[in-house]
Amino acid sequence: MAVYEQGYRGYDGPLMPDCSRFLVIPRYAYKSVFASRVFVGFLVLCYLWPLGLGAFIYGLHNLARISPVPITFDPTEQIVIDGDFFLWTVMFPQGIIAGFLLALHIGPALISSDLTNNALPLYLARPINRAEYVIGKISVLAILLSLITWIPALLLFTEQAYYAGWDWLVQNMRLAGALFVGLWIWIFVLSLLSLAISALVRWKVLARAALFGVFIIPGAFGETINVLFGTVWGSLLDIGGLIARVWEGLLGLDFDTTPIPLWAAWASLLTLCGVCLLILRRKLQPYEVVR
Amino acid sequence: MSGDVMVPAGTLVGWPLWRRQLAGVLRLELRKTLLSSRSLMLYALAAMPVLLGGMHLLATPFMPEGMASNLGRHARIFTGMYSTFILRFVIFLTCLWMFMNLFRGELIDRSLHYYLLTPIRRWLLVTGKFLAAWVSASVMLSSSTVLALLLMVLPAGPRELADFFINGPGVGQVVAYVVTTVLACLGYGALFLAIGLLTKNPIIPGVIIWGWESINYFLPATLKKISVIHYLQALAPMPPQDGPFVILVEPVSPWIAVPGLLIVTAALLVLATWRAQRLEIVYGTD
Repeated sequence: MAVYEQGYRGYDGPLMPDCSRFLVIPRYAYKSVFASRVFVGFLVLCYLWPLGLGAFIYGLHNLARISPVPITFDPTEQIVIDGDFFLWTVMFPQGIIAGFLLALHIGPALISSDLTNNALPLYLARPINRAEYVIGKISVLAILLSLITWIPALLLFTEQAYYAGWDWLVQNMRLAGALFVGLWIWIFVLSLLSLAISALVRWKVLARAALFGVFIIPGAFGETINVLFGTVWGSLLDIGGLIARVWEGLLGLDFDTTPIPLWAAWASLLTLCGVCLLILRRKLQPYEVVR
Repeated sequence: MSGDVMVPAGTLVGWPLWRRQLAGVLRLELRKTLLSSRSLMLYALAAMPVLLGGMHLLATPFMPEGMASNLGRHARIFTGMYSTFILRFVIFLTCLWMFMNLFRGELIDRSLHYYLLTPIRRWLLVTGKFLAAWVSASVMLSSSTVLALLLMVLPAGPRELADFFINGPGVGQVVAYVVTTVLACLGYGALFLAIGLLTKNPIIPGVIIWGWESINYFLPATLKKISVIHYLQALAPMPPQDGPFVILVEPVSPWIAVPGLLIVTAALLVLATWRAQRLEIVYGTD
């Protein structure tokens, strides 16, 4: 066929429903994500800790049955499964450590390659707008992060509720909501931060370095300010500390991870998300004027 | 017919040629590491301790009476800041960024083939790039450290300062901080240069190494030795760490720490050179 015969023709195939159109982006993204054996190995590793915790909860409630020696005490009275347990054994390791490593691996490559190769118009020429593009890119991370954060957390909660009984479930219903909401907030913050850095730093290796730096340097800087001036407001720069504070608030725990008021932690996280959205709005332009 | 290669008169061979080539690489790389747009991030990192020192200086009028002139307190605060912030974050991340980019950055910019097409030995290229980055990082971070220290102790007043630097341990401390900074750049630099050449995604190993260095205080004595920070602690005037889980061990003697760091650096440079000898460029994957 001659070149001049290949004029533009609009897409006339079947369209996905408006509400789920953004899911096209993760569908294609996962093809490249799961092509990496290192990543698949990492994802499997992320389940070892929740599996261990599941075995621990099972053992705690069934020690008398599985122990080869007679048990004279009730282990559930010695080890209480409450908000502190979920904060320190589920939310921190799965959310902050595993979640951050996953975002570090996947996030910086999500937008940078589209911008570097001028591929954004190819997306936006299809029946998808900028907001759906961003939501699609966020959902790449959000779905994967969900698999290692709030889903295992709620499964562990369900297991504990199953063994501990109805009374425990009624007393601790708040924990389930806190785990779900708290980890979703973290997923949102982490995804937005990764995408904003990916849009700002167009090379993925450098974007990864920048994400790592943004995550740890302000926290260390803030902590040094706290020590130097005997204040607590330096902790506002610590992203990990901020989310820990919000989690404590949601779980109804005594505040001991970050010494700042709860409202300040919420306000800082909202500001961070706002800045990330502004960066994405500024950087994700369907065209670029080169003078 | 003789097997000797005919070399035109006036052509440099052997060490004179290598010296000239090394100088050429050094000149080019110094410009890249100090003046490129990518080094802005490094300047921002190096400015952080100075910024903290400046903030401390500005806070002097608000300090309680007697605290501002307490030079020992200021020096102790700086020691804490050096061990927890400068060494573990600023120096670590500066080296990670700078040395990782020596080859990875060229791959991203698609400019490495210009070096590989020149008649220069790979070991010379690795050495030249490493030396340039080491000099840049050392100058940048040592200046930042010394400046931050001066800003921290300045509130004590001229008499206290003169006493500290002329009769007291001031000069010795400055030298110790500078030597530690330079050796930290050497150790971390060689490590990240090797990682940048061995892996496609050097940040993940970088994060793991950072985690390892961060938990060094809690490691048993044998495992402590497999880290850079353990040897650096022997050189800088750092306070002993305390806490419920800290495992205290006898500090390493500087006579072991310095040669140890130099040997590890040499081994890592040999590894990096070995990898560079086999380096093939596939720009498409980056």
